[in-house]
Amino acid sequence: MKHKTRTLLISAGIASLMCSAPAFAQGSDLTVFDWSGYEDKGFFGSYIEKHGSAPSYSFFGSVDEAFTKLRSGFSADLAHPCTDATKKWVAADLIKPIDASRLENWDKLLPEIKDIDGIMVDGEVYMVPFEWGNTGLIYRTDMITDDEISLQLLADPKYQGKIAVPDAGPSAYAMAALATGVKDYTNMTDEEFKNASDYLRSIHPNVRFYWTDAGQLDQAIASKEVVMGWGWNQSELNLIWNKTPAIMMKDVDKGIATWVCGYVHLKSSKQSDDQVYDMLNALTSKASGKYIIESWGYAHSNSEAFDAVDPELIKSYGFDKADEFFEGSLFFNAVDPKLEAKMLKEFERIKAGF
Amino acid sequence: MQLRTEASKGMALSAPASLYVGLLVAAPLGILVVYSFWTQSYVDINRTPTWANYQEAIDDPLVRFLMLRSIAIAGCVTIATVLLAYPIAYYIAFRTQKKTLWLLLITIPFWSSYLLRVFSWKLILGFNGVLNSALLSLGLISEPLTFLLYNEFAVVLTLAHAWAPFAILPIYVSLQKIDRSLLEAATDLGAGKIESFIRVTLPLTMPGIVAASLIIFIPTVGDYVTPSLVGGSDGKMIANLIQVQFGAANNWPLGATLSLIAMLSVGFVSIVFVLVMRGVGERIR
Repeated sequence: MKHKTRTLLISAGIASLMCSAPAFAQGSDLTVFDWSGYEDKGFFGSYIEKHGSAPSYSFFGSVDEAFTKLRSGFSADLAHPCTDATKKWVAADLIKPIDASRLENWDKLLPEIKDIDGIMVDGEVYMVPFEWGNTGLIYRTDMITDDEISLQLLADPKYQGKIAVPDAGPSAYAMAALATGVKDYTNMTDEEFKNASDYLRSIHPNVRFYWTDAGQLDQAIASKEVVMGWGWNQSELNLIWNKTPAIMMKDVDKGIATWVCGYVHLKSSKQSDDQVYDMLNALTSKASGKYIIESWGYAHSNSEAFDAVDPELIKSYGFDKADEFFEGSLFFNAVDPKLEAKMLKEFERIKAGF
Repeated sequence: MQLRTEASKGMALSAPASLYVGLLVAAPLGILVVYSFWTQSYVDINRTPTWANYQEAIDDPLVRFLMLRSIAIAGCVTIATVLLAYPIAYYIAFRTQKKTLWLLLITIPFWSSYLLRVFSWKLILGFNGVLNSALLSLGLISEPLTFLLYNEFAVVLTLAHAWAPFAILPIYVSLQKIDRSLLEAATDLGAGKIESFIRVTLPLTMPGIVAASLIIFIPTVGDYVTPSLVGGSDGKMIANLIQVQFGAANNWPLGATLSLIAMLSVGFVSIVFVLVMRGVGERIR
């Protein structure tokens, strides 16, 4: 009888262990709340050297999802949003300021992505930039010439059902802002907002789908289902690796945007600051930067990382023209909350054909 | 005294169930109702009760449009599924001895995840999908068909497939319960095959049809995954708008209001449907 009870207890214990927290892989005490894929060990080699194992990872699919989950009480030590979200996360009291003096690589980080809105909020550092890249118009070079391509081409009736736009209000409005010549998309005037909305309405009949994951866009361009789409440089790389004749329109005069993402220190963090800063130092190190550039084709925040990579590769990814992007591209900064609400509302209408 | 003990005994017996229902149904619903009267101001919630969300939702033509579209799509799914399910259920109940095997076969799609089934429809209907490739290689079309995916049709097709067993099983049970001697009596009284079906079988299976319709209609109105994956911009439904409120827009109170409006609309349509079906059932009998 006693034996039976024990067996029962043990099996119940095993069952509860199996059911709880499946997202956490084996690892050190640190928990990172991240996009899937960023658990790549090449990103934080020196942390593993020091602590013996990789941090545990838990994943989100979008920054909005991460925000909702954290607000409903999910806890972790570090999270990985992009600069446009930082202000909101600070306002929601989710993250603590970063002590830049404890960051070994702080002075080596590219100033163009370090001194921007979203890394600093109200004069304090809240995010350690990790990777950055472009969002732009990706098009099939076998169907559209380099001279022809422009954001206005998206509205051409010739391309009915042949374009794709992200299912994300602010990103779509950034594109519309570039197309309609808005100066500051984070703070549009009513007239500018109307022009941008009209632009999105004018391209709506051509939209095959509003993409929710980048893979959907990659596949559609590769199969010629769509011939151009507003997307991330990740899609461009996937297409190049897939030998699809497609590139991103990288002319700053025609319109291209730059995004920066990085790590923030959550208030719900339970681990020691030492561990957190070890991880941040590992992520921003030259070796991690070299790895992400070479194996992922993403640009890193550490300026020294670029010198460590084969210049030919740097050129093929377009990072040699980085300064041009920094000067001429639109940065995804935090949009004024009222304007953002307006964008989201209007975007839902546009998508429904209103 | 006796009565009081009886009553308290009853209370004690039903307490676990009441607690369970209260915690898992009433409490979340209560939270939803309370939320719907609050308002969101950036990251904080303003707890002053107001009708503002309801006003906004009712004034917004988009909400009305998406709600009506959701009901229309769910209605189409229900009709298509029940019409397709009835012959299958009929066959299993009356025409075959291998009932278990057939029922097992019908549930096989359920062994894989709902999400995977939606994705497989995407693979079938896609631009370079199974269907288009087959038609292209047969030379029936020269360009891939684009009207297969990213519209209301794709949503109806995917949902109808996903929910088929939920229609087959209740209809099968109601067919199985029919006393076969009634059918014999109908034949003895001179009814033909069609007449005995319409006047005996169909009325007796009406409860199964109503149950199947409600089981399909109610969840599909609020379906979110299928329209977001195969619906494109023409197939978006009310649940997608609700999701935006709880996600990107970060406006939970408005999301709660929309959810309640959706629930009330579904409830209203379902009640009307049940009443109509009851009338139809009486008429044909």
